[in-house]
This record gives sequence, C-alpha cells and structure tokens, in this order.
Amino acid sequence: MTDNNQADHPCLPGGLIPLEQWRVPETSVRRTIRTGLRDILDQLKAGIHPDEQAFRSLDDLPTLSERQIQDYAPVPDREELARALLNELEQLRRSGGQSRKASFLVAPPFSGIAEALGASGRRVIAPPDNLLMPERDITGWWDHQLQDDDWVIPELADFWLRHRSGLGLLRELFARLARDKVGEGIIGCSSWCWQFWTQYLPELHLAPLTPSPLSGDRLTNWLGHLAGERSQGPLTARMTQDGLYVLPAPTGDDERKYSLFTRDLATLARGNPGVALAIWRRTLRARPEDEAQQQGEGDAHQEGRQCWVAPLDQLSLPAVPQSSARRSGYLLHALLMHGGLSLGQLELTSGLPGEELRIALSRLERADVVTGDEQEGIFRVQALAYPAVRRYLQSKGYPVDSF
Amino acid sequence: MGDFGIKDALSSITSEALLEALAVIVAASLLILVVQKAVPVLAAKLSGKPRLYLLASVPLFRLLVIVLTIIVVVPILVEPSFENMIAIFGALGLALGFAFKDYANSLIAGIVTLYEMPYRPGDWIEVNGRYGEVRSIGTRAAEIVTLDDTVIVIPHSLLWNTLLANGNDGTDNLMCVAEVFLDPNHDVGRMLGLFRDAIFACPLTKTYQPVLVTVAAREAGMCYRLKAYPLEPREQARFISDLTARAAEICGDEGVPMVSYPYLQAQKA
Repeated sequence: MTDNNQADHPCLPGGLIPLEQWRVPETSVRRTIRTGLRDILDQLKAGIHPDEQAFRSLDDLPTLSERQIQDYAPVPDREELARALLNELEQLRRSGGQSRKASFLVAPPFSGIAEALGASGRRVIAPPDNLLMPERDITGWWDHQLQDDDWVIPELADFWLRHRSGLGLLRELFARLARDKVGEGIIGCSSWCWQFWTQYLPELHLAPLTPSPLSGDRLTNWLGHLAGERSQGPLTARMTQDGLYVLPAPTGDDERKYSLFTRDLATLARGNPGVALAIWRRTLRARPEDEAQQQGEGDAHQEGRQCWVAPLDQLSLPAVPQSSARRSGYLLHALLMHGGLSLGQLELTSGLPGEELRIALSRLERADVVTGDEQEGIFRVQALAYPAVRRYLQSKGYPVDSF
Repeated sequence: MGDFGIKDALSSITSEALLEALAVIVAASLLILVVQKAVPVLAAKLSGKPRLYLLASVPLFRLLVIVLTIIVVVPILVEPSFENMIAIFGALGLALGFAFKDYANSLIAGIVTLYEMPYRPGDWIEVNGRYGEVRSIGTRAAEIVTLDDTVIVIPHSLLWNTLLANGNDGTDNLMCVAEVFLDPNHDVGRMLGLFRDAIFACPLTKTYQPVLVTVAAREAGMCYRLKAYPLEPREQARFISDLTARAAEICGDEGVPMVSYPYLQAQKA
C-alpha cells in the first residue's frame, strides 16, 4: 500500500496510515548520543551564552537568493496535497479501511495538513469568535454547523482553549464523533491537541489516520518533487564538504555516491515535512563563484539548477533560551497545543499576567523560537525551532505529542 | 597477645608513611567535597530524570572514594597480612562499638541506605512529621529541605525504627492533593466534573499521569480532594496553590460556599 501511495501521491509520500503505526525515522546511534549530550549541555549552559540564541550558520559559503530558494525548495502546493488526501481517504473508504462517516486526521505541527484541508474545496467550519461559549449554547452551535454533509474542520486546535470554560466545544464534538453523529466530514487535528484530549477523554477511540513519517528515502523523493523535477528538470544538490549527492533522488542504475544527509534530516525533523523543509531551506548554499551572479539576479536555470548543501553539523538551529523560570515552557506548550494564540488567549491558558507574558514572549522572539503575526496578533512556534522546542518541553516534564 | 597484635601491626609505621597516608586522605576528602558541592549545582540546572540520576550519584561516588581510600591507605601504614588486618579492624570495631555506638549505628544505616535506597537525593520524604526534599545523603545523616526552606538533619539510624514516607521514590512523579471543604447542599456530580476540568486546565499538570477528584462527606462538609501530578516535584507548593485557587474560583462561580472547620466550630458555639 505504501509504495503505491508514494507513486500516486509524491506530495504525500507513504500515504495515510493508522496513528498506531507511526514510527520515528531511524538514525545512527552516534547521532542519537550526540543529540542527547548536546541537550544536556544546553541545559547546563543556561545563562552563560545569552547572545547565542538565534539561528546562525557556522559555514562561510554564500546562501541562495530568496528567489532561488523559492525555486529550489518552494512551499508545498496545498491544493495538490488536498487532492491527494481526499483521494487517499476515498480509497480507504472503498476498501473498508474507514468505517466512520467523519474522517479524523492527526498530524504534527507544520505538516501542512490543516492548510491542505482548508483548500480542499469543502465547506470549512470556522471556530466561533467566543471559544469560552456557555455550555447551553454549544449544542445549538454544533447542530447548526454540522447540519449538512461534506464539511471540513482544518484544525481542531482552533476550537478550544486550555481553560476550564474553554473545553466545552470539543467535549461536545468528541461526544458526537464517538457516536458517529456528525455527518460526513473531515477533521484535521494537531498532534499536541490530540495528545491533550486523549488524556482528558481516555476512552475516546476514533481510529485516527496520520501521514506516514518521512524517512530518508521518502524525504529525498519529496524534496525532488518540490523542486519541480517533473516540470523544470532535476535539481542537483551536493554536500559542501565532500561533494556527495543529495538530489536528484537515486535511481536503480545510479553510479553516483549519495550522502546520508536526508536520513539525518528526516530524523532531526522526526519525519515532519514542514520542519524538514524549513531546515532544508537553511542548508542550501550557492557555489562561491556564483555569488556575484546571484546578486545580479542571475537566472538559476542557466546554471542547470545546481546548489550545495551545508552539513547539519554546521547549522546552529534556534534553541530555547534556558532559564530557571518555567514561563518559556508554559508559553511554548500552550502555543503548540493550540497551534498559535493571541496575547489575551495566552493570558487565559498560561495564567501569567500580561507584563510577564510580553517579557517572556519578546525573549522567545529574539531567539527566533516564536514569531508574532502583527496583523492577526497571533504568536506561533517557528518551524525551524520546533525540534528544539519539543526536546525542551520533554526534558522539562511537559506532556509532548507522540510524533 | 594481650594487645591483640596491634602493637606489632603498628610498629612498622614511619613518619613518611603517615604523611603519605594523610596526603591520600586529604586528597580523597577534597575530591568528595568538590563532588558534593558541584554536582548539586549542576543538577539544579537540569530537570527530570537526569537531575535525579545526577543527585543519586553523589553518595555512591562518596562511598566508592572512601572504600578506595581505605584500600590505598591501609597498605601504606601496615603490612597487609591476615594477622595485621584482623588486629586493626578488630580494634577499630571495638572502639566504634563502645565509644561511638550511635555514630557507628548511623554509619551502618547510611551504608544500608545506599543499598536499600529508602530515600535518594531529590526524593520528597516525611520522617517524624517533617516533610522536605532530600538535599544530600551524608555518611551519618541525610539533609532535607522543607517547603519553607529549612534544613533538617536526619540521622540514618532513624531508618531502623521509624516510619518513612517517600512521595516520589526516585522518580519525578509526585502526587499532590488539594483539599477543599464545601457546604453539602450542591450538585456533587457537577462539582466533580468542574474540578476535573480545573486540574486539566492547570498548565502545571502532568496530564499523562492520573488525574482524580474524590469526594467524601465529613463533619466539616463535603471534602473534595483534587489529586494530580505536577510537572516537577519541586513545584508542588505552587501546584497545590494553583489548584486550590481554581477550585475556589469555581465555587464562587457556582455559588457553592466553601467552609472551614473553625468556621463550623464557631457556628456550633
């Protein structure tokens, strides 16, 4: 099933699988030990290097221009992914693998599932303005929203707040889902939101599906697909330190020597395509002799679409600023569980007063861990910082997702 | 044989040997001192299991250094023959048995502590009504720090005949209980649900550990016990305060009065 899906949907490698079958991509023991030791060292170094927080590259090769990055590693096409998801769900329904009327998809943050479901062309159910809706109004609200079939909830995390008055909407929805009384629809749910609710409602069994994790091979194919190998010809990407190939994806009769870069990247990103793409974009480098040409808006196609890839060891990804206070943890955990929150919502969920919140948030923003959308007023965890944030929360005892 | 052969055993001790043995003992003491000071400082920067493992390594390391020091020092001072060893350790045993009985009792209990591990650094224990976190385990006694930041020294000898309650037993899972008393005339089922929501809404709660709310009718009123695990044992006071405040807020919103035993006593009077 997996191989067929990969062939059918290059934007959804591995297709959808039951949540229980999801596994972290494997990596070498050396890298696991190194990562563990680095985490402990980071904690011990708390307060010693306050300025070395944001992303920085440790190599001196020129980076690609914004245009080249968009060309070589563009943002995935959400409509293409939506078509793949709908197709996959339809196949599962036909084969009897999906018996419930409403399909439930759980995916880690930055996987692109929410954006794809929002662009699926189905009727999108948006969250109410008041997430602290009184209990007496909740039943009527859901009755109204679910009266017709073919609906989609792109992100369930938008429908609740971790506040004693903010649980009602999802409690009611999950009760209806458990009875299969919601009509035909699709629900996307962040893995952090799902983790909380499975602990809040331990008897909840919805047989959720999830995208397969990106292993090294799948990631190579996916990155090649993103670079438009079908439409624009293959992108050649080689490691800066030894010249080993990363892209194009190896074929059966290939004599080129390939790097293990994508395997390590898949592990670092825990098989998460959004996180892998964010890191991939940071590793792309131009050849030194091309630098002048880039500045002059040189056409990438004339160069035969070639670029270089900096080793992961030479990247210093954003790290959570260490401190003895727990404020950073509260905020980051709340942001991940809800997929993003406004300042007011953060006050409600974290219990921290506004001034303390602003101070803690500004520190996280300076470290490139959190980004604030000025128009929406919503704060979110950055994809590039996600691996560090997850490790940080796990080390501090927070409940983390299983992805 | 009147002196148990000690005189013979000690006759070969020279001033150089004494100085050498002293140097080894001082070096070992310094090493123990450095480890005892530095490791807790490093552990304070960590959380979870790495912190507990690091703290637990201190007494084991000290025992190891002490044993190694004895193994090194004894051959420096006396010829390590069977007769000499019997003589030295026999005399040492007699001295400890008569002159320092209680001290020896604590020393032996301290070794048993390292083997049986009824408490480890980082554990939250209650001994004779005193509750606190085990800060260090010395050769003779353990030190605990109470929630009010008071250090209490507990001789290991108490281990033989005292009940000891260990809240987290070497893990970072410590159940906390916030207790509130409510006026009996209310919807118990609704309050149980609301209190459970309050625990799950608390950002300090380890939601992957059991969350329980129990109720019992007592003389003082309906006693609700909100039981859950904080993210870290060190946060227990803050956690219980937070749960109590959330419970009080719910009672206010629901119009269910909280009661206290002194209040009832005053009512009766």
